[in-house]
Amino acid sequence: MDNTHRLIQTSYKLKDSVRYRRAKIFFYDLLENPKARIRPYFDVFMILLVVSSVWVLIYDVRHDMGIFDDLFEWVAVTIFIIEYLLRFWIYNDSHKVILSHYERAEFINQPFRAWPAMREVVAKKWEYVTQPLAIIDLLAIIPTYRPLRFLRIFLLFRLFKLFRYTRSISEFVKVLNEKRIELFTLFIFMAFITFTAATALFFFETDVVDGKGVGSFFESIYWALVTMSTVGYGDITPHTTEGRVVTIILIIAGLGVISFFTSIIVSAFGEKMHEIRAQRVFSEVERKHIDLIVCGYGRVGQVVADQLALDQRQFVLVDPLESNVRLAKQKGYLAVQGDAADSALLESLGIATQAKRLLCLTGDDVANVYITLSARQMNPEIEIISRANHRENVTKLRLAGADHTVAPYEIVGLIAAEYVGQPVAFEAIYGMLTGQNDVGIEAVRVRSGSVLDGRCMADVGFRQRKLIPFGVVREGGCPIDGSSGTYEIEGRCFHFNPTPDFELQAGDLVVMFGHEYSVVHFRDCLERGTL
Amino acid sequence: MGRSDTLVFGCGPLGQEVAEQLIGRKVPVYMYSSALDRVAEVLAKGFDAAVLDYTDDDKLRQAGIGEWVKVIFCLFPEEAKNVFLTLSARALDPDLKIICVSESPQSGQKLFAAGASKVIDPYEISGRKVHELIARPMIVDMLEHTVFGKHLDIAEIEIPLDSCLSGNPLSALDLGGRYNVVLMGVVDVEMSDSLIFSTSGVDHKLDAGDMLVVIGPAVEITRLKGDLEEDRTDQLLGG
Repeated sequence: MDNTHRLIQTSYKLKDSVRYRRAKIFFYDLLENPKARIRPYFDVFMILLVVSSVWVLIYDVRHDMGIFDDLFEWVAVTIFIIEYLLRFWIYNDSHKVILSHYERAEFINQPFRAWPAMREVVAKKWEYVTQPLAIIDLLAIIPTYRPLRFLRIFLLFRLFKLFRYTRSISEFVKVLNEKRIELFTLFIFMAFITFTAATALFFFETDVVDGKGVGSFFESIYWALVTMSTVGYGDITPHTTEGRVVTIILIIAGLGVISFFTSIIVSAFGEKMHEIRAQRVFSEVERKHIDLIVCGYGRVGQVVADQLALDQRQFVLVDPLESNVRLAKQKGYLAVQGDAADSALLESLGIATQAKRLLCLTGDDVANVYITLSARQMNPEIEIISRANHRENVTKLRLAGADHTVAPYEIVGLIAAEYVGQPVAFEAIYGMLTGQNDVGIEAVRVRSGSVLDGRCMADVGFRQRKLIPFGVVREGGCPIDGSSGTYEIEGRCFHFNPTPDFELQAGDLVVMFGHEYSVVHFRDCLERGTL
Repeated sequence: MGRSDTLVFGCGPLGQEVAEQLIGRKVPVYMYSSALDRVAEVLAKGFDAAVLDYTDDDKLRQAGIGEWVKVIFCLFPEEAKNVFLTLSARALDPDLKIICVSESPQSGQKLFAAGASKVIDPYEISGRKVHELIARPMIVDMLEHTVFGKHLDIAEIEIPLDSCLSGNPLSALDLGGRYNVVLMGVVDVEMSDSLIFSTSGVDHKLDAGDMLVVIGPAVEITRLKGDLEEDRTDQLLGG
């Protein structure tokens, strides 16, 4: 009874202890958490340790390394044991199991019995011990125990430990694992053929004199496998006609087995390939901190991508069509094939963590609304720009959480209408806005303490620099005195065509038209502080 | 059939959008399509529309092409139809303004070859706009609210015959100071259709028939137009 009490007390103490929890989280990050920053360092360290311990084992076969060998072995094994125990520890929370049993007992007013709880604790831990990777870990440790020295060959199991630390090997195992039914079928078939052929050969060839025949059943199994795999060492060969007939059949069956096996592996990788490729893209997105996701590589998406590439901005494309993804890859863009409506895909691209902007540019408004909505839910901060193919969907996209919408048809309508009225003016200005002319619209920010700070518009000398001032955007609302030429823009005030005595302030944004050379020169002058 | 001088071919969403914008600017339009259900749809929305077989030149002539029609829009979703219509219309009237939509740069070239006066690529423009939104959000915001919004207008103003402005160099004009407008540049219609920016090195000598391109509030533009028509030297050039 006293022991039971102590058990519960300890469990509660562990549950409350911050230090205990912190330690456990730390080791979880170190050993298991795939997203932890510290984990890759640990993995690399363990890979080096495993490889060097196996190397020592190989070197030791022919050379005597004396004390160093034992010392190294001792250190390595200690680390392996500690790792094993830590994994054993963090696999689950035993105190939680006990406490849940205890609380259940309290709830239904039954006396708490320690044994069933302890049994579950042990069962949980046993579950860990019987995991394939845990067994490999154990096999990597046991051979060091002196009396079991003959198990030294099992030290090679340490190499299998590498599964834990490298992604590509575990990927390979995953692929094979997915095809286990096919592989199992193949194995049964192969075992059947081998056994039948081996039996037949043993039957026909064992009587042959001159000591040339098959000596034992093991030898005939060995022969069957060598023949079937088309390796054919030729150390054991059939001499009787019956034996040769068996060989012919076995060779033909062997060809089938080999091709079947190859096709399973190839198809498994074929199916898995785009997943593996996507995985590559995800890790690249994470490594390069790419914060711009472009959904849809149709006509609009292509124009945007080309422009972004010109700006040398990093972005990742998502498109469900293979042809589009191929096109993007040919241009050297980072692209994933998939449906952006799939929130798991967006999650993998870091929508909730590092992404700052999302562009929904698919030709389907339903998809755009859906992507916008799910992205907004996953990240309230992200800036979403969405394409609206029909005008009535603009409001829906706004409701779904888009910050900006771009409607291709509306733009065409606007251009068409203006074109009918005043073709040249509109074309010139539109060309300017879209950067198709040398003359463009540019904005220069007035930094505090710069030459522009506190200067009047007339003294800036726009004219000499061949620039046309268009207006000034100032933070804060517009003056209420009703002066003409000021327009409210989302909490900022736009002063159109400011008067010559308009005084610039720090934080103002001066918008001007001009040739790109003029603008560059102007910016350069500002940097150097001379006007 | 109405005698409107602007025709829109194609009653899809794009055609409707263009027609709506034009009507909003008080330009009467008549819509045509070869598909009956499309026509019924736009008729139900209140547009003037009719079914027309665009492959028949006589029908096109009846609709007014080659006669009174000045502008047509080819807004069929199918590229081939637009090219065909452009070719037929250009054959009927060499001076017609033909505005087409295209889906890709290649088809744009085909449309120009067929005789289109202007080709609009909605995707190209949208793509550029998305890019601008990323690269220069402040400017886009500003323009959305002013030039493309309600506050500011873009206008072409012709300099009338015998105006006091004739003979003056472009740089002598101080429209920004006298009127609340920004002078973008001038188009010398006799020389070419392209805009001479007021910041370009060339100091263009103004002359009657030139078009001034200005941005500003509608009131100021009207005032400028009025003064130009009345040729008020004191207002335009100062004392």
